[in-house]
Amino acid sequence: MPLSAPATQPLIALRDVVKVYATPAGDFPALKGITAEVYPGEFVGIIGKSGAGKSTLLNMITGVDHLTAGEVVVRGPGDQQPVSIHQLGENALAHWRGRNLGVIYQSFQLLPMLNLVDNITLPMDFCGLYRPFGSRGRALELLRLVDLEGHAHKLPAYISGGQQQRVAIARALANDPPILIADEPTGSLDSLTAETIFELFEKLVGQGKTIVMVTHDNSLAPRFTRRLYIADGALVEAESYASQ
Amino acid sequence: MLAMRPRWRKVLADLWENKARSLLVIVSIAVGVFSVGMIAGAYVIISHDMGASYASANPANIEMRTAPFSDELLAALEQVEGVEAAEGRCFTSVRVRTGPDSWTSLNLVSVADYRESQINLLVPLEGAAEPGRREVLLERNGLEKIGAAVGDVLEFELPDGTVRSMPVTGIVLDQSSNAGDFLASPLAYVSFDTLVWLHQPETYNRLYVTVSSDSNDEAYIRQVADAVNDRLERSRCQVYRTHVNKTNEHPLQSTVQAILGVLGALGVLIVLLSSSLIANTLSALLSQHQRHIGVMKLVGGRTFQIFGMYIVLILVYGMIALLIAIPLGGQAAYALAQLIADQMNFNLLGYRIVPLAFLIQTVIALGVPLASGFVPVNNGSRATVLQAVSGYNPGAVQSGWIDRLTSQAAERLTWISRPLLIALRNTFRRKGRLALTLFTLTMGGAIFVAVFNVRSALNNYLDSIGHYFLADVALNFDRPYRRNEIEDVALRIPGVEAIEGWTYASAEVLRPDDTVEVNLQILAPPAGSTLVSPNLLSGRWIEPGDEKVITVSEGMLEHYPDLQPGDTLRLKIAGQEDEWTVVGLFKFVGVQGLVGYASYETISDLLTQPNQAFTYRIVTDQHNYAYQDQMAATIDRHFRDLGYHVSLAEAGSDSLDTAAESLDILITFLLIMALLTATVGSMGLAGTMSMNVLDRTREIGVMRSIGAVDWVVMRTVIIEGLIIGLLSWFMGCIVAVPITSLLSAIIGQTVFATPLDFTYTVTGVAIWLGLVLVLSALASVLPARNAARLTIREVLAYE
Amino acid sequence: MPASDIPAPAIELSQVVKTFKSAAGEFTVLKGVNLVLLEHEFVSIVGKSGSGKSTLLNMITGIDHPTSGEVCVGGTEIYRLNESQRALWRGRTVGIVFQFFQLLPMLTLLENTMLPMDYCQVYAPGERPKRAQDLLALVGLQDQAHKLPAAVSTGQQQSAAIARALATDPPIIVADEPTGNLDSRSADVIIQLFDQLAGQGKTIAMVTHDASLTERTRRNIIIVDGELVDETVGRALPLLNDRQMLQVTRLIQRQTFQPGAAILSEGQAVDTFYMIDSGQVEIVLKARRGGELVVARLGPGEFFGEVELVYGGDSVASARAGANGPAILATLSHRAFLQLLSDSPLTGDAIGKIVQARLAENRAADRRRR
Repeated sequence: MPLSAPATQPLIALRDVVKVYATPAGDFPALKGITAEVYPGEFVGIIGKSGAGKSTLLNMITGVDHLTAGEVVVRGPGDQQPVSIHQLGENALAHWRGRNLGVIYQSFQLLPMLNLVDNITLPMDFCGLYRPFGSRGRALELLRLVDLEGHAHKLPAYISGGQQQRVAIARALANDPPILIADEPTGSLDSLTAETIFELFEKLVGQGKTIVMVTHDNSLAPRFTRRLYIADGALVEAESYASQ
Repeated sequence: MLAMRPRWRKVLADLWENKARSLLVIVSIAVGVFSVGMIAGAYVIISHDMGASYASANPANIEMRTAPFSDELLAALEQVEGVEAAEGRCFTSVRVRTGPDSWTSLNLVSVADYRESQINLLVPLEGAAEPGRREVLLERNGLEKIGAAVGDVLEFELPDGTVRSMPVTGIVLDQSSNAGDFLASPLAYVSFDTLVWLHQPETYNRLYVTVSSDSNDEAYIRQVADAVNDRLERSRCQVYRTHVNKTNEHPLQSTVQAILGVLGALGVLIVLLSSSLIANTLSALLSQHQRHIGVMKLVGGRTFQIFGMYIVLILVYGMIALLIAIPLGGQAAYALAQLIADQMNFNLLGYRIVPLAFLIQTVIALGVPLASGFVPVNNGSRATVLQAVSGYNPGAVQSGWIDRLTSQAAERLTWISRPLLIALRNTFRRKGRLALTLFTLTMGGAIFVAVFNVRSALNNYLDSIGHYFLADVALNFDRPYRRNEIEDVALRIPGVEAIEGWTYASAEVLRPDDTVEVNLQILAPPAGSTLVSPNLLSGRWIEPGDEKVITVSEGMLEHYPDLQPGDTLRLKIAGQEDEWTVVGLFKFVGVQGLVGYASYETISDLLTQPNQAFTYRIVTDQHNYAYQDQMAATIDRHFRDLGYHVSLAEAGSDSLDTAAESLDILITFLLIMALLTATVGSMGLAGTMSMNVLDRTREIGVMRSIGAVDWVVMRTVIIEGLIIGLLSWFMGCIVAVPITSLLSAIIGQTVFATPLDFTYTVTGVAIWLGLVLVLSALASVLPARNAARLTIREVLAYE
Repeated sequence: MPASDIPAPAIELSQVVKTFKSAAGEFTVLKGVNLVLLEHEFVSIVGKSGSGKSTLLNMITGIDHPTSGEVCVGGTEIYRLNESQRALWRGRTVGIVFQFFQLLPMLTLLENTMLPMDYCQVYAPGERPKRAQDLLALVGLQDQAHKLPAAVSTGQQQSAAIARALATDPPIIVADEPTGNLDSRSADVIIQLFDQLAGQGKTIAMVTHDASLTERTRRNIIIVDGELVDETVGRALPLLNDRQMLQVTRLIQRQTFQPGAAILSEGQAVDTFYMIDSGQVEIVLKARRGGELVVARLGPGEFFGEVELVYGGDSVASARAGANGPAILATLSHRAFLQLLSDSPLTGDAIGKIVQARLAENRAADRRRR
């Protein structure tokens, strides 16, 4: 770990984040003023039921969705100043995200027409870190990290769900971002496969990555370094969550 | 390959992954590029080659039909100012046997010296270049009609009834002698020394003149023509008809170019239609790729990078279409030019690539997809990560006026079942897509209907021309006979019901300064004839008792724009000048020259041939063409047997059929273009229907899950296709109105030098209704089958 | 469990195996599932994502084919029908409620509700609008009938979807995560609706991964990696994790005891852990004067024998089947039980507390009997 943990500055800081969706039946507050911080080297679990707002919260951190009020500030290692996610334009955000965040979704989201190496090389291509041979080498290295070097030239459809998720993780690591964001990464996997994915995350945390992961599975709770419980759009204490 | 950036690999994969869609886009680009390339290429080739080929024959600038004249007069004419060269030929109208009992009329042309010939040059195509004594060369155009080849011996029946046999020793091309006259008889060539054997005097009756200075200045040519005319008259040689031509312009050049112009406009329309097809397909592609785009943005792709990827994809589509369309278009352009050249009897200068067509095709193939793809790509590349990764995207339907209307209707009319309602509302869900589909299908239908209308207008026009040729058989003699004598003979032939003796004269319309404005053919049926049913524009027809009174065809308006019934024209007929009162103007085939009608009595007096006539119109007891043809042969034989000098007996509608045939080619072309647009339209519909099914995959799964069986699902899709087809049919019928009047105007003007009457026929409307229903059913059956095949699990378990 | 009149089975699955073949290879999602749902039951099927619960549901609705095994719904062998026949059968027999509502967006709520009647040709055409309106009123949407789905809230969409599922008056309602996309208040409304329907005699199977919903159903089926957890195990040991439950399911054995038959006698060595599947078990202490004292009557989902297994020693009381009917017990060996306690500290804690409580009860009873 580069810096001594929680005492240092937070990597991600959310302040009074509010998200209101306009629906036909009126405004629906999905997030009701969330304040939270994530420090370097943490493995933070955001735990909540479906509909509680946990994915919305994650979308605020990745800048995938726009917040209604509040602010999200992220400070990557390359950033001189903290970056206010909510103030970046769509393009600047895409570029920043490509270099600083690796995002992993429940449904893998690999491009079906590209083989595994190309899927992993793509972020390097888009973010200008692409060198024809160097980036391929790195992609192969990442495939080795997730134990899939033998499948480099297969299309995603030809490997199992668990393997696809590992490729998605390798892709998330392509530009060597300090932060990984994972939305129910084990949600589509059987319990054994889910376990291997979780172990991979633990390994990455051990190597210094900061990971924020959303899950509805409370049984995973003990394995995070810190837990944030969310219910109906607000953070709650662990005890009151369990009593629900 | 190893070093190819992953983003370009994705572009490549997109191209390859959905081959049907790629093919649809490429074909829709290629169809437009092909048709425009074909027509542009043909246009360029014909504009150049038609003139060049025509000029290469050194066509006469002045052509005169005259009384017989000699070499001496010809020599004198060469001295007339402005005359570069003058040549005489002798035209003899004969008949050639085409079967045991069938003859066709033919003009035997004798040329004094084939090698020294300077004007209206013949191009030898096969066999001998000049006929020997008692040999004949055939002109290419007549081959088909006569059905002869080199080496055959043909039987010719001379005007006096003698039959002579001559072998065909060669085939030649004469581009200039009958240029532009679809109704002319085929030509054959003999040597001058054969004339005596053919019972003809060795004189000329056709004069060809080229002018010395500007041979493309019509005013100058007319001036020289007037001088030549004067010189001939001084030598008491009568001129029956004068025709002037520019050297470098085929008489039909402007017609052909106008028609190519019409086809070109249709080609542009096809491009337009295919571009809407491309826009539709690309916007569907982009919406299907929404997730891919979101994922690319998720891993750092910026809007312009993604925009660039799809633009490159479009350019690749265009390039592939270009690779297909350029060679095909080039070949088709030449084939089209060749077809027209054959029809118009000129030679092409050889196959070549037309750089202009190449350029136009390239611009269209790359530009049109880019232009039509810009909006969908621009919108699509703005898709956000959120749209891509949030699984549920409930294809929201705004409550539009259609929905309000149908739901109100549904409340009142309970017979509108929900399944029908679904089809109805689905139709109007993707309004942009619907609009583009309707546009293509409507235009295709409108052109289809319009082509039928134009065809009907052309037929109507020919019909109305037919009103001037009402007789079942036309019988011409080469000398006048007494009318009552001929009538007596004719009426004894079984099947003949009535006969009229007509006469005719050529007149010169004189200007105040006594120069000739124009030649006029005057037909003189007996006053009160029932065999002319004129289509009067103004004034009245000839009535019994009229003297020095004529009616003229509307072509006269070109010379006298203000001509009104009651005005007078100064005419010179058979050497006599007089003021004639124009009592009426009528519609006639413009290109056929000016025609006037006067009463038989007046003209026969003028010609000092009272009660005699050259030409007779016969009414038979049946009026179908086969019967007329048979009667013509019977009448012909009957009169010849009695020793009359028959020059021609033909079915009354013969010449009209020839005219109609040449129009059929035009109609065929228009129909091909109409079918092409209809094809593009139904391709568009098929594309739209499969996109709709793809969009609604989940809904179809839901329908199945609540009890919809296969055919119910299919029915929903097919009804939607039929609704679109019917809508487009309805709109097409309306849009066909302006298109019809535009096409009628252009084609009438170019072919007949007169606009066609606007005609709207149900034939096209009905055929198109049937066709569009079949096409829309076909276009939706495949998507519908695919829809019915989807199992619910595939549909609902997609996440 | 209501024992008065024995309801007929509404849905029977026997040895259902489902294997998906994909480019990545074969993957068995259901591994020989046996399941019987009775008429009028409200059953929840619980499992994590990927456990095969949606596939199980698809087997019941005839949306998907089993690779092997048989499914009989309402007396129909549904996989003997072809796809199209099955669509019609499904429309008339099973009402389906989806997580994402799946209303057709171009039809109003009323039209959506009428659609199944149109497709399945049930009720006279003139009757359909009235019936649809009544169903919408039942789910509290009478005033929204003419709105398009996009114009109402997600909770209302789900209510409308339930109205639609009821349109053909099917005996069976199947719901796949019906509350998965709703906030907790809307979810509550939906569950109450299901409760009410179950009370009216519908058979309802609901898939969920939300354990809090399972308390509201009368029966709870847990599926783990394509296998069903023994329902007795699930009820007796709810704190085990999925894999542990499955492990226990594989180890248990069933024994049936006729009314009044002795299961354990006081002082006997105990080497089995007993969970009650059905029937009643009486825990009895010997009283003075040769009489006996019934200290507890245990019902389905409860267990005994744990005290001795935890503390060692002979049985502190006798156990016998209740007099009302036979008792069916699921038993676990001593070793397996101890292994379980060490694997699942949560369960260990919970059982520890129960042991303390029961020991306290026994001491109280001891005082009474002396």
